[in-house]
Amino acid sequence: MHTFPESPSTIALIGNPNAGKTTLFNALTGSNQKVGNYSGVTVELTSGETFTPHGKKLRVLDLPGCYSLRAPSPDEQVAVDALHGRLPGFAKPDLVVCVLDASNLERHLQLALQVIELRMPTVLALNMVDMAEKSGLRLDPVKLSEELGVPVVPMQASANKGIIELKQALRFPFPTAPEAKWSAGGGDLEAARRGFIRQLCELAARRPDAHQLTFSDRLDGWLLHPVFGGMVFLAIMFTVFWAIFSFAKIPMGWIEAAQGALAGRVAGLMPAGDLRSLLVDGVLGGVGGVLVFLPQIVLLFLFIGLLESSGYMARAAYLMDGVMAKAGLSGKAFLPLFSSYACAIPGVMATRTIGSAKERLVTIFIAPWMSCSARLPVYFLIIPLLLHETEGSWKQALVMFAIYTLGTLSAFVVARLLRRQLGPDSGAHHFMLELPPYRRPQWGYILRHVIEHAWSFVAKAGTIILGLSILLWALSTYPKVEGDRATALAASTMGRIGAVIEPVVKPLGFDGRVGTAILTSFAAREVFNSSLAVLFRVDQAASKEATRNSLRDRLAASRWPDGTPLFTPLSMISLLVFYIYALQCLPTTAIVAKESGSWKWALGQFVFMSGFAYVAALVVFQGGKLIGF
Amino acid sequence: MPHALATEVKSACDLTLNQVGVGCDVTIRVLSGPGCDRLRDLGLCEQLQVRKLSGGRNLICSVCGTRLAISRELAEQVLVAPVD
Repeated sequence: MHTFPESPSTIALIGNPNAGKTTLFNALTGSNQKVGNYSGVTVELTSGETFTPHGKKLRVLDLPGCYSLRAPSPDEQVAVDALHGRLPGFAKPDLVVCVLDASNLERHLQLALQVIELRMPTVLALNMVDMAEKSGLRLDPVKLSEELGVPVVPMQASANKGIIELKQALRFPFPTAPEAKWSAGGGDLEAARRGFIRQLCELAARRPDAHQLTFSDRLDGWLLHPVFGGMVFLAIMFTVFWAIFSFAKIPMGWIEAAQGALAGRVAGLMPAGDLRSLLVDGVLGGVGGVLVFLPQIVLLFLFIGLLESSGYMARAAYLMDGVMAKAGLSGKAFLPLFSSYACAIPGVMATRTIGSAKERLVTIFIAPWMSCSARLPVYFLIIPLLLHETEGSWKQALVMFAIYTLGTLSAFVVARLLRRQLGPDSGAHHFMLELPPYRRPQWGYILRHVIEHAWSFVAKAGTIILGLSILLWALSTYPKVEGDRATALAASTMGRIGAVIEPVVKPLGFDGRVGTAILTSFAAREVFNSSLAVLFRVDQAASKEATRNSLRDRLAASRWPDGTPLFTPLSMISLLVFYIYALQCLPTTAIVAKESGSWKWALGQFVFMSGFAYVAALVVFQGGKLIGF
Repeated sequence: MPHALATEVKSACDLTLNQVGVGCDVTIRVLSGPGCDRLRDLGLCEQLQVRKLSGGRNLICSVCGTRLAISRELAEQVLVAPVD
């Protein structure tokens, strides 16, 4: 498309990780890309539009961060390819904006010089000048510009300062491609670059002489301490889980009350019949059973956003490197795996920051065992059945913590075995990580992202889950036979499917209805709750129609035909274990196939995890029965 | 032998970053080994001043106001001399 004369020119934002490219991109284009405070948040190319001061449209590309144009890791390769115009669908950029962290010019100029050597029109955006000047650095952008032969724009993208000045520099005609004067003498280019940078920083970015301990240094002294650091890490993780459990109770109560009131109203307004049953049991019960977990998902994303934005994430990766090494992985795998607690899809994509191909494959393979937020509705439904609220919410949080630990530990064991199977790497890949300074969280971005995730959850409830709820309702209602509701359900399509499945799931402690609910949740895990809501309405009919019990009470009251309770502690643990391990998410399988470049890997993962889930639940239930539970 | 090491830091020039005590300021003299390109990309270049902030499995050092965590194997490839 760049061949059309009137097509917009393309500018590319390049820079070291965590230099603020995405913040600048958002400021230029007014879009809302994810911003973090650790390297590797942007792993794909994103593009947007902006306008020059004269109103001419420009296409802006946000490239993944890279340290040099040598590109040893896949996300860096994307940046280098984009710069050379080798990515399909993206034109070669007409201008490169090199984003530098002003407090780290000695390091960030390395990349800038390599970009200038490409002889493309280049503008340097000297970002975060406020932080640099606060640390005592004396910057001279004019001198920098003279020495490098490119425009240099001091700015603070997070506060929208310097954006206008940058746009002035992007005015047509673009600044000409500069000459790389350091490479003129010939000889060792690397050494020439280093010498030039040293001279340049002497001239234009003088540091205060004494090495000062910054606030971040002092904080790291505690947070990265071998003993205290580990304790703080555990405390933070536990607080997150506890807060998700206890704070979310209040809004969840509101949602449940609203759902109950609405169902009562609909039931009061309509005559009894199929339509009322569809609306009350199918739609309201099914969608409401999932929607009620919105507050917990909001909180999880809020905490992950806070950890990312403050800079603690990188510390966590550092602290976890020793633990990850036991699984044959490095600290680099921590960030993708931790994101997988929210959702495996961004987690699998974030593995691109891992340099070693084999470590990357293994990380992709185990990522779905980090319990993602879609499993939360299932956990939150079952845990209070297992441990009543009166036992204290900290005990429930402890069970939750145990669930996450079990999934994670098994993932590590598998990773270790798999890593040994795959053999050592061809090249050496050692642990190397930049610890960014602690920053105040960017609340605007965090909140917008929380809202985005919450909305996508609600949208899913309104589409897939609504559709499946209606389908399930129909399957469990037709064909109709005379008799009470239990016989009617047994005769319905769903009842028959359940009867077929029951022998398969009975050894795990589940009846046909739970088995059917599990089967439906292979499309998406949250569907389990709505399926149960639809399938278990039969018990609700036995109690008074006026008191709409929550799904949980109905489950607690449900029995096997012989009168023993269906949900015993053992069968509930078996169910939880099944959900920890089963890979029930089609989008994850698709993204794994894409990222690993192999459908075999993705299908193998699916078969292995689902099979493992079945066997693990079987062992738990049968083993537990043997010991006498 | 902390005493012997402390005197060595003053005399010898080819210590690795692993051998330097925590809290010491040193200048990078040579990078040698398979990981040196990557180290340079990260900003650990010859003649830059580094302060080692912590040791252990991965060590943390501060270069030009940035903290970097690198593995022992990599630190082994960084030869340093004390600051005059």
